[in-house]
Amino acid sequence: MPLDVELIRSQFPILQRTLPNGKKLVYFDNAATSQKPLAVIDAMSDFYKNYHANAHRANHTLADESTAALEGARDRISKFLGTSEGQMIYTGSATEAMNLVAYGWARYNLNEGDVVVTTEMEHHANIVPWQELSKERGIELRYVPIDTEKFTLDYDAMEVAIEGSSLVCVGHVSNVLGVRNDIERVIKMAHSQGARVAIDSAQGAPHEKIFFDDLGADFLSVAAHKMGGPTGIGCLLVSKDALSEMGPFLTGGSIVKRVSLEGTQFQEGYAMFETGTPRMAEAIGWGVAVDWLEENIDFEEAHKHVQSIASWMATRMRKIPGITVFGFPEMEEAIGVVSFLHDTIQAQDLGYLLDAGGFAVRTGHHCAQPLMEAMGVGSTNRASVWIYNTMEEAEAFVTHLESIVSKFG
Amino acid sequence: MGDSDQWSEEVTSIIDRFQSCFDTMERYELLFEYANKHPSSLAIDEWDDENMVHGCQSRAHVECSLDSQGGFVAKGGADAQIVQGLMAITAIAVNGLPPSEVANHDPSYVEEMGLSQILTPSRANGFMNMVKKVKEEASTLM
Repeated sequence: MPLDVELIRSQFPILQRTLPNGKKLVYFDNAATSQKPLAVIDAMSDFYKNYHANAHRANHTLADESTAALEGARDRISKFLGTSEGQMIYTGSATEAMNLVAYGWARYNLNEGDVVVTTEMEHHANIVPWQELSKERGIELRYVPIDTEKFTLDYDAMEVAIEGSSLVCVGHVSNVLGVRNDIERVIKMAHSQGARVAIDSAQGAPHEKIFFDDLGADFLSVAAHKMGGPTGIGCLLVSKDALSEMGPFLTGGSIVKRVSLEGTQFQEGYAMFETGTPRMAEAIGWGVAVDWLEENIDFEEAHKHVQSIASWMATRMRKIPGITVFGFPEMEEAIGVVSFLHDTIQAQDLGYLLDAGGFAVRTGHHCAQPLMEAMGVGSTNRASVWIYNTMEEAEAFVTHLESIVSKFG
Repeated sequence: MGDSDQWSEEVTSIIDRFQSCFDTMERYELLFEYANKHPSSLAIDEWDDENMVHGCQSRAHVECSLDSQGGFVAKGGADAQIVQGLMAITAIAVNGLPPSEVANHDPSYVEEMGLSQILTPSRANGFMNMVKKVKEEASTLM
């Protein structure tokens, strides 16, 4: 059934907002962070108002309620992502999740000369941890290039790069190009070489139902705030085999069975990795976000909706003099991202001029500088679409962009 | 808000022009206009690490000196026209003044122009860093 976009929009209070300049907000910065439905905001507020207490630490009623809510959320989020609660580690972000792969798995399993493969399409979160670990451990780091005509990964080059590797780390969806990588093919390629596979799904999970156990990846990172949940929380999904090979990353309280002056005995499973006071309000909010998505969103219909808007925008924007659209948002599997530049209006200026019309887009290198370099640019403007955007908003955006170009171009 | 008596006739006239703008887009148009008539622009081949303004989202550079009469000259350049426009107005405000006055420069005319509406925290920060650099260089030229 097609999305009832008006009903969806009515549940996001921020979308009703008028900006200080009197313009109505049109939010096209969803790849940076999505807005939150009222149910999420209310759930977090309810936690702080009615049952806030530190989970897993006391025997009083509030602590019991808080613990039940935290773990109940883990159960629902893990099921939503196609796995079980034992395979899900709460992290502060998708970036922290990729760092957990680097420092909780690779540091315990890779040594000098071992090979990690990543790509030049990645967010810095899937490049910098590997560079740092490479310096620390003498690990060889191989980068798979992009095909600069198709704006996809070069899978032939990937096949070669994966040979003899121990870990392959690939983004599910590019945050700059919106291209959906063939992660199923990458997982097969990597596993055929005996390598473990980490998928950065920060941009994938908001647009596509994840079935982690069926997918067969060893690790998969997710950010709550890009899929209707709160900021400050994400997770790393880990296969049972890979989890058994991991060791502690951040250490301290919560993750220990016993500490003496002679040493520490750590918890097992996901409990080994969640040190410090848990992100309770955030987990509760995220749990409600996935409930909300389950109840309100058919992901296949959502993809059609998002892709049709982005595709229409890209097609129209290519006709505006001086505008270059990067990649192919028109492709059926592309995921709602339109990166563009004007040849004389500087990207930051264009971002502010769009904002003057009420349109929120991202401007910059999008934490993907190697990709920017491969594309031959320093930054882009990026409009990114999600479930609550409408074709009317897209039309208004293109009209405003045309007006900017005619005045300032 | 600053006291409008403290600004030169030229700055007061700029304030009037911005205050008569209908909306944010018109203010941007005006800023682009000032960007194109920077009184002392810094050519791109003169941009270097030493004259770079940190804290701007765009690339921005300021170089300060004294003219033959001992008046202050702030040369500036930026890749973003909005930043270049802000630089141009700052140059109009400070060029020709004794460095001792520039060292105590109050940029609150920007608020009078209604530009605070369009100065987001990151860009306001960049603008304030540019003003800070101008004031610091003025102090060394006193």
